[in-house]
Amino acid sequence: MISRRVNYFTNYFKIAALNIKSNISGNAFAFLIMSFSFFIMLFFLLCYINIYNYMSTFQKSNVMIVFLKNNAKKDNVLNFIGKLNGVKNAVYYSDKSSMNFLEKRVKRLKSVLKNMNPDNLPAFIKINFKKNAVSSIFLSNIYLRLKSLKGVKLVYYNKMLQNRIVQFMFFTKVVGFILFLFLFILSIFISYSAIKLVILRKQSEIEILKLIGATNSYIRIPMFIEGEIGTVLSFLVSIMLLFAIYKIFIFYKFDSFLEFFRIKIIFLNPQQIAVVFLIAVISGIAGTYLSSKRFF
Amino acid sequence: MIEFSHVYKNYDKNYVLRDLNFTVNKGEFIFITGRSGAGKTTTLKMLLALESPTHGAVKFLGTEIQNLKPRDIPFLRRKLGFVFQDFKLLPNRTVFQNVALGLEVSGIFGNVIIKNVSEILKAVELYTKKDEFPLSLSGGEQQRVAIARALVHNPPVLLADEPTGNLDEETSQIIIDIIKSFNNKGTTVMLATHDKNLINMGRARVIDITKS
Repeated sequence: MISRRVNYFTNYFKIAALNIKSNISGNAFAFLIMSFSFFIMLFFLLCYINIYNYMSTFQKSNVMIVFLKNNAKKDNVLNFIGKLNGVKNAVYYSDKSSMNFLEKRVKRLKSVLKNMNPDNLPAFIKINFKKNAVSSIFLSNIYLRLKSLKGVKLVYYNKMLQNRIVQFMFFTKVVGFILFLFLFILSIFISYSAIKLVILRKQSEIEILKLIGATNSYIRIPMFIEGEIGTVLSFLVSIMLLFAIYKIFIFYKFDSFLEFFRIKIIFLNPQQIAVVFLIAVISGIAGTYLSSKRFF
Repeated sequence: MIEFSHVYKNYDKNYVLRDLNFTVNKGEFIFITGRSGAGKTTTLKMLLALESPTHGAVKFLGTEIQNLKPRDIPFLRRKLGFVFQDFKLLPNRTVFQNVALGLEVSGIFGNVIIKNVSEILKAVELYTKKDEFPLSLSGGEQQRVAIARALVHNPPVLLADEPTGNLDEETSQIIIDIIKSFNNKGTTVMLATHDKNLINMGRARVIDITKS
């Protein structure tokens, strides 16, 4: 029974190989179309992942400044901050060192500070957060707790920027999801059309096979194998092409101008590649199923 | 073995068959004849479950074909060999591979295929051309390949629809002789033709369905 099934399966592969060999041009055309479709999907995913990562890094690098009242006990405030979850470190700047801090921040525009009296500057504490802890709600929560603390004059963080980033990231997620869904459906449609071109040429062959007693599975399984071989090869070619383009981009330092914006281009990780591979496999199966449906 | 009882077939109001009745016994050779459009092909198609009667019953080995479930139809067809006027060979497969298909669809693989296909190709005198593709063969040779494919799995019945329609008289005689030789070994044959010469060559029972 098992050897019979193995024989069947081996035979299905032989038939699929024979079909590919006998229609090289049709299969090559379908293969090119599918490769292009998967390349577009992978390229979109690469862009999306990099934009999302950049925004995420930007969001998580948010800092909070706590201005202290003149008579405030800085150690009490620092102790309180130190006990908060998600705080990476807190650095105290006295009213004397505030000017140095400002000068470092503005760098070349230092001249704007020349008429400023250092004695008028307040003491403050700069808080850096752990990257994995930062979120909009987390920052609001910390802000409210620090604001009500004794000795604290003012708490500042770029709430607007934070909210904008969160909004943008949400927008990116939604648009990304819609685009990805669209590309997924498009890849099924492209696979369907490409495989259909191959299968339509088999119409008479399918009729003959049916007349001599072939079951639907005997006809269909080699078609699925043929479709999947084409899909997997198309996927491999498109991922290798994308990787080659990525490497060329890095090798010739085309990304150097992006470093100015602290953007580092990363390639897709294995999980992301696996997701697109899964989509490719599904689109191959769906494409074969839809295009062969009319014969059964 | 085969029984047509009170079979009617119509397409809209156009009757192709009216009250067709006949039986075919095991090992018989019969000609189905009639003018063009009389329903010869429809009669054979009913046995292959490609058409179903509007009224009446078509029985094969005691089973009413029109009542078969779609999933059982391939198993019916494996008990029948079918030869077409236009050969219906797969152009991308060799003579050997085309004939082997008759066994492969039934789940037979390996040495049995090599043995049976070689034997039947020798019987139709095409063994030397086993690695050639159908399009490089003459019409008569292609029809012999089709006969080999139809009979390689040793079905009890061979159906042939105008098998010599595209062939000259001499080649037609060769084809009829081959079919006759398989009939002599016990295969029941139903051959549809309108060719009087062919019927004379065959010297067998004739069912004229024009009269139905």
